[in-house]
Amino acid sequence: MIFPILHIPVLGDGMTIALDAVLHVLISHGLAIGAVSMVVLFQALAAAGRGAFWSDLGRSLLGPLVIATTSVGAVTGVGIWFITGALAPAGIGSLIHLFFWPWFIEWGAFTAEVVLLLFYYYLWPRLSEERPKALLALGIGYVCMAVLSGILISGILGFMLTPDGWPSGQRFVEAYFNPTFIPQCFLRIFGGLAMGALVALAWTAWTFKGADDERRRALRLCGVVAIVAAAVSGAAGVVYFQRVPQTYLTHWVFAVATSVLSQRPEVLTWLNAGAGAVLLLAALAGVAGRKTASRVLAIPALILCVGLVSEFERVREFVRGPYLLPGYMYANQIPLVQKLAAEKTGMLPELRWVREAREAAPAARSGRALFDADCGVCHSIGGVNDIRQRIAGRTLEGVNALVGITQQMVPFMTPFSGTDAERLTLATYLYALANTNSRPAPQLLLPKKPAAKPAAAAATQGGAKAKEMKQ
Amino acid sequence: MTPWNDLFLALPLPEPWLRALLFVVFGLHLLFVLLMLGTAMLGLFSFLEAWLKDDAGRQSWNKRVVGTHMPLKSLAVVLGVAPLLIIQIYNSEAFFTATGIFAYAWIAIIPLLIVAFLSVDVFGHKLDTRPVAALVFACVGLAALLTVPAVFTGALALMERPGLWAAAAAKGPAAAGFATHWVFRYLHVLGAAVVFGGVFHLVFSAKDPERRARMRRWTLAALLFQVVAGSALLATLEGPLGAPAVVALTLGVALAMLAAWLLRAPETDDGASTRSASGGREIGRARLLWLLPALLVTMLAARQLLQDQALEPERSAALAVRAQRAQVLAAQQPRALAEFNAKLATVYDNGKTIYAGSCQPCHGENGLGDGAAARRLLIPAEDLSAIRAERAYVRELLVRGVPGSAMPYFTVFDRVKIESLLDELDGRFAMLSKPEKPQAAAGPDAANAARVWAETCATCHAQDGKGSAFGQTLKPAPPDFSRYALTPERALAVITEGYPGTVMQPYRDLPDGTRRELAVFCQRLRVK
Repeated sequence: MIFPILHIPVLGDGMTIALDAVLHVLISHGLAIGAVSMVVLFQALAAAGRGAFWSDLGRSLLGPLVIATTSVGAVTGVGIWFITGALAPAGIGSLIHLFFWPWFIEWGAFTAEVVLLLFYYYLWPRLSEERPKALLALGIGYVCMAVLSGILISGILGFMLTPDGWPSGQRFVEAYFNPTFIPQCFLRIFGGLAMGALVALAWTAWTFKGADDERRRALRLCGVVAIVAAAVSGAAGVVYFQRVPQTYLTHWVFAVATSVLSQRPEVLTWLNAGAGAVLLLAALAGVAGRKTASRVLAIPALILCVGLVSEFERVREFVRGPYLLPGYMYANQIPLVQKLAAEKTGMLPELRWVREAREAAPAARSGRALFDADCGVCHSIGGVNDIRQRIAGRTLEGVNALVGITQQMVPFMTPFSGTDAERLTLATYLYALANTNSRPAPQLLLPKKPAAKPAAAAATQGGAKAKEMKQ
Repeated sequence: MTPWNDLFLALPLPEPWLRALLFVVFGLHLLFVLLMLGTAMLGLFSFLEAWLKDDAGRQSWNKRVVGTHMPLKSLAVVLGVAPLLIIQIYNSEAFFTATGIFAYAWIAIIPLLIVAFLSVDVFGHKLDTRPVAALVFACVGLAALLTVPAVFTGALALMERPGLWAAAAAKGPAAAGFATHWVFRYLHVLGAAVVFGGVFHLVFSAKDPERRARMRRWTLAALLFQVVAGSALLATLEGPLGAPAVVALTLGVALAMLAAWLLRAPETDDGASTRSASGGREIGRARLLWLLPALLVTMLAARQLLQDQALEPERSAALAVRAQRAQVLAAQQPRALAEFNAKLATVYDNGKTIYAGSCQPCHGENGLGDGAAARRLLIPAEDLSAIRAERAYVRELLVRGVPGSAMPYFTVFDRVKIESLLDELDGRFAMLSKPEKPQAAAGPDAANAARVWAETCATCHAQDGKGSAFGQTLKPAPPDFSRYALTPERALAVITEGYPGTVMQPYRDLPDGTRRELAVFCQRLRVK
C-alpha cells in the first residue's frame, strides 16, 4: 500500500464506482452507440429519398443526444478513471500499465468520435438538404468510431474475468484477446443498439408531430431494430457466460440477490423474465405501429434497461470475486505474492499512509489500518455491506478464526493479508466495533492524558486527514 | 512460467517518448480548457453587461459566444484523457499520491463538471429569453466550472512537492505550506483562460469593429493581469529555476509583451484612420493566432522543466524501491500461481465443495469439530456427526448462524447451494435422519431425570425443550430439542462435561443413571 487509501463511507467504494460507471455504460452504449446509430439510420433513409420526416425526426433526437453524451457520457467515462484512481490507485495503475496501448488507441477513437459527432451536429442544417450523402458519411464515420471505442474497451473488461494464460505468461496478447473478448463486444454493441432503438421508439412515440403514417413507419423501424439487436445481444450473452469460468459464474445469483434474496433465487428468474417480456412488448408495440401502446410501454422498458445493465455489470464485477487482476492482484489491491510474503513480514510495515485522526489508540489505529487495507474495499463501517452487521453475534476468537479463513469460507472474499498477530489486532478492533456495548480490549482504548483536548480531537475526526506513519 | 513482475515497472514506450507525448497532449488539453473557461467567463461578463445596459441586441452575439462552449468543452474533456493516461504511467507514484491526498475534492471534479456543463448549456439557451434564469444557471455553472481548475492546480502543485505530502495529508492540502503558490497558480490559469478565450472570440466571433475593440480591451486587461499574477507566481517558486526554465520564461514573457502590443487598441472616431487602423488590426489578429500557441508552448515548457526538476529524483527513487520489492516478491510467484490455479478449478456449486471450503476449516473433515481453524475457539465447533435434526432447522442455522458463537451465517450461498449442502451433510453424517424412538420412560432413574429436567434444565431449555424465554436471551441460545437432537452418546457427553464457553455447565455430579435418562429424555422431545 504505497498510495494513500481512501474508502467512501456509507456508500462504499463499489457503489460509488457503480453509480458513475452504470450511468456511463447507459449513455455510452445506449445513447452514444445505440441512439445515435438510429439517428444515422433515420438520416440515411432521408438521404435515400424515403421521406423528409426521417431527417426531421433524426435531427430532433440528435440535439439532446449530443448534450447527454458530451456533458454526461464523456465526463462519467473519465469519471471512472478519477474515482478508481482515488479509490484503487494500485489496481487502476496496474491495469493502465498493462493496457496502455488499447487505452491510448481508444483515446484516439474517442477523440475522433467526439469531433465527428460535433461536425455531424453542427453541419446538419447546412448539409442535410444540399449534400445528404456527405452528412451521412460523417454519421457513419461517427458510428464506426463509437463502435471501435467500445470494442477496444471490451478487451480490458474481458481480461478481468477471463485472463486466459496471462497469469503465468504475462503476455499482453493473452490478456487482451481473452476468451470473452468477442462475445462481449457483440453483447455490448448490440445491447447498446437495442437500448438506442427503444430510446428512439420512446422519442418517436412521445414527440413526433408528423403524419400518422410516418409515425407508424418510424415506430416499426425502431421496434424491428430493437428486437433484432436484443436477440443478437442475448445470443452473445449466452456465449459470453459460457466462457466465464464456472468458479466465478456460480456466484451470479448472490451477486444480484445479495443476502436479502439469496434464499429465494426464483424471484430473480421471474424478475428477469418479466423485464425481458416488457422489453419485447414495447418493441412489438413499435412493430405494430401503435402510438399509445408504444408511449406506455417504452417508459418501463427504458427503466428496466437501466436495471438490466446494472445487473449485468454487477454480475461481471462481482463474480470476479477476490481478484482485481486475476492471478496477479486481489480486489483489495494486494498482489497475490505480497499476501504470501506478508504471512511472515506483515502488512503494517507496508502501510505507508495511515489515517490517524479517526483512531487515537495505537492498537485501534493499527486495527483500522488493517481494515482499510484488507477489507475496506468491499466492507464499510455502518453503510453498504456493513462489517459490523457481518460479524454481529460472533465471539472475538470466532472473528479471529473467520478472518483467517475468509478465502475458503466465502469463495469470492479476499484472504486476510498479514501475520497472525496482525489478524488478532484486526479481529479485536472489529469485535469492539461490532459490539459497542462490550468493553473494548484495553489496547484499543486511548490512555487518558490530562493534556488531551477533546475539542481538538473532535475537530480532526471529521476530516479525511492522514499522516505518514513511517517514512 | 514468467517470473513475477510489478506492472508499474513496465513502460509501454521509452521515457523520452512518454515525456514528449505527455507534453504534446497536455498542451492540447490545456489549450481547449483555457478556451472553454475563457468562453464561459466572457459569456457571463458580456451577458451581464448587456443585461444591465438593457441592450437586448447584443445578447444574440453573447448567445453565439456561449454556444461555442459546447464543442470547446467536449474537446477539452476528450483531450484530457491522454495526459491523464500518460501521467499515470510516467509519474504514477507522485500523481496517485497527490490525487489520493486530495481524495474527495478529486472525485468531486466529476459531478462538478456535469453540473457545470449542463448549467452553461442552459445558460446559453436562455440568455436572450429568460435573463434571470440564465443568470442563475450561469452563476451555478461558472462556480462549478471554476472550482475544477482549483482542484487541478492544487493537486499538481502538491504533486511537485514530495516534501509536503506528509504535511498535506495530515493537515489538509490548504494548510501544507503551498497555499500562496496554489492561489497564484490558480489565478494564472484563470488569467490565461480569459486571454485565450478573448483572442479566440476576437478572431472568430467578433465581426463588427465596436465588438472587436471591446474584445481587445477585455483581452489586454487579462494579459496585464497575467503579468501581475505570473510575477507573483514566480515569486512563490522555491529553489533555483535553472537556466533552461529561465530561457523559456524569458521567451514567454517576450511573446506576451508582443501579444500586448498587438492587442493595443487605438480607438478613433475618425473614419479614415479607422480604416487604416482596422487594416493594421486585421494583421494583428492573424498574428495573434500563431503568437498565442507559441506563448502557450514556451510557458508550458518552463512549467514542465520546473516540474521535472522537482520530481525526477523522487521518481527514480520510487522506481528503485519498486524494483527491489519486485525482486523479493518474485520468490512467491510459484506458490501464488499454484493457489490461483487450484482456486480456478474449484467450483462452489455443490455441497461437497462447500463443505470442504466453508465447513471443514472448523468442523473438520469428519465433522468432529476438530478443524484447524477451530483450535482456539472458546466454544468448540459442534460435532456434526452427532446431530440429528430437521432439515428446515439446520437450514435456519446455516442462513442465520449461531449468535454468541463463531458459527457465521451463510446467505452468501443461494438456496440451491444451501440445499445441496444439506444433502451433503445428510449423506456424510445422517444429520437429517430421525433418531430411533427411545423406550418409554420407566424406573426411578427416569423419574429422577424428569424431576431434574423440570427443576433445573427447563430453566433454560423449557419443559418442552424448545427453549425458555430466559434461555432465548442467552448467546448462544439453547437449541430447540423438538427439532434438533444429538445422538444419546453425544448428549450424555454434553450433560456430563458441559458445553465449554456456554451456560451449559457440567452435571457430572448427577448419578450416572439420571444422566443417561436425561439424554434419553432429550431424545423423546425430538421423537414424539
